[in-house]
Amino acid sequence: MVHVEIRAEELFAIGPLIVTNSMVGALLASAILLFAARWFTRRSGIVPSRAQSIIELPIEFLAGIVRGTGGTRWRQFAPLVLAIFLFVLTANWLSLLPGVGTIGFAEEVEGKKVIVPFVRAAAADLNFTLGLALISFVSFVAFGLRANGLRGYLKELLVAEPAYMTPLLTPIHLISELSRVISLSMRLFGNVFAGEVLLATMLALTTATIFILPLAFVIPGVFIGLELLFGLVQALVFALLSMTYITLAIAEHREHGSDEHPSGESPEQGAAPAHGAA
Amino acid sequence: MDLHTLAAGLAMGLGGIGPGIGLGIGFSKAMEAIGRNPEASGTIFVPYILGLALTEAIGIYALVVSLIILFAT
Repeated sequence: MVHVEIRAEELFAIGPLIVTNSMVGALLASAILLFAARWFTRRSGIVPSRAQSIIELPIEFLAGIVRGTGGTRWRQFAPLVLAIFLFVLTANWLSLLPGVGTIGFAEEVEGKKVIVPFVRAAAADLNFTLGLALISFVSFVAFGLRANGLRGYLKELLVAEPAYMTPLLTPIHLISELSRVISLSMRLFGNVFAGEVLLATMLALTTATIFILPLAFVIPGVFIGLELLFGLVQALVFALLSMTYITLAIAEHREHGSDEHPSGESPEQGAAPAHGAA
Repeated sequence: MDLHTLAAGLAMGLGGIGPGIGLGIGFSKAMEAIGRNPEASGTIFVPYILGLALTEAIGIYALVVSLIILFAT
């Protein structure tokens, strides 16, 4: 039968720090990214080689989107958005490799033998996605504070546009700010975890047919292709939503309805820090 | 097999109806817009993905509730 654990299993403990298998997955993903970055920056050229064009493809794709929709200060937050995208993408695709989630210790849990894998999909653990969502939350609050100042930020947060609506609208506004963290983290966790359950279920359903039809090789393969697509879309969604929240926080001005025109108000003001950050 | 299993199935199944309808409407409108103006497909893509994510969040809440029912009670 299908056995999927909703908690990340503990592997070992270093003092008070308990290392779970999803932490191993996240560390592997960041190690891959670090080595790829080091390797490709050392031998990169003005005219890209073939491997360099492949590694630059997702970066250019997302940088184009950030430049197109991020307003005048896109250079300030483009590295953060790109890092989130690449990290989530690597962690998601890492979990589709053979051996991840399947090779591990055999353990007895409630009389049944189950596998405790060495490496687990990092985003199939709520701790990982909640950490990323908190990073996104802190960064969009910090960008809002820096762009509008403490007064402007608090005024935007706490005072509604017709002043008499403040007691009604302010709690809603506060809750919607906080719910961004919950929905960001739950979306990624839910999708990746559901993907893991889906793959395990499909494998369990088709394993019985292995001696009759080669369905056990075909059907899970189709779903792994689907998971490749979902991993990309979820990484893109996480990065784009973080970018949108940052853009909204930067663009917030005194009057309402200015969210759509982040660059219209003060182009000179926006261009100056962009040069500093570049 | 107890009532928890039934509750989890119901939570996910009923919670999937709304987001399903919403995603369908959003997708059909996006396709309609691209069909009317194929050059705008690049501009439509990012807001479409964002709207898809926000609509899908409701379904994800249902999934989380049913997972909590299944595993955490």
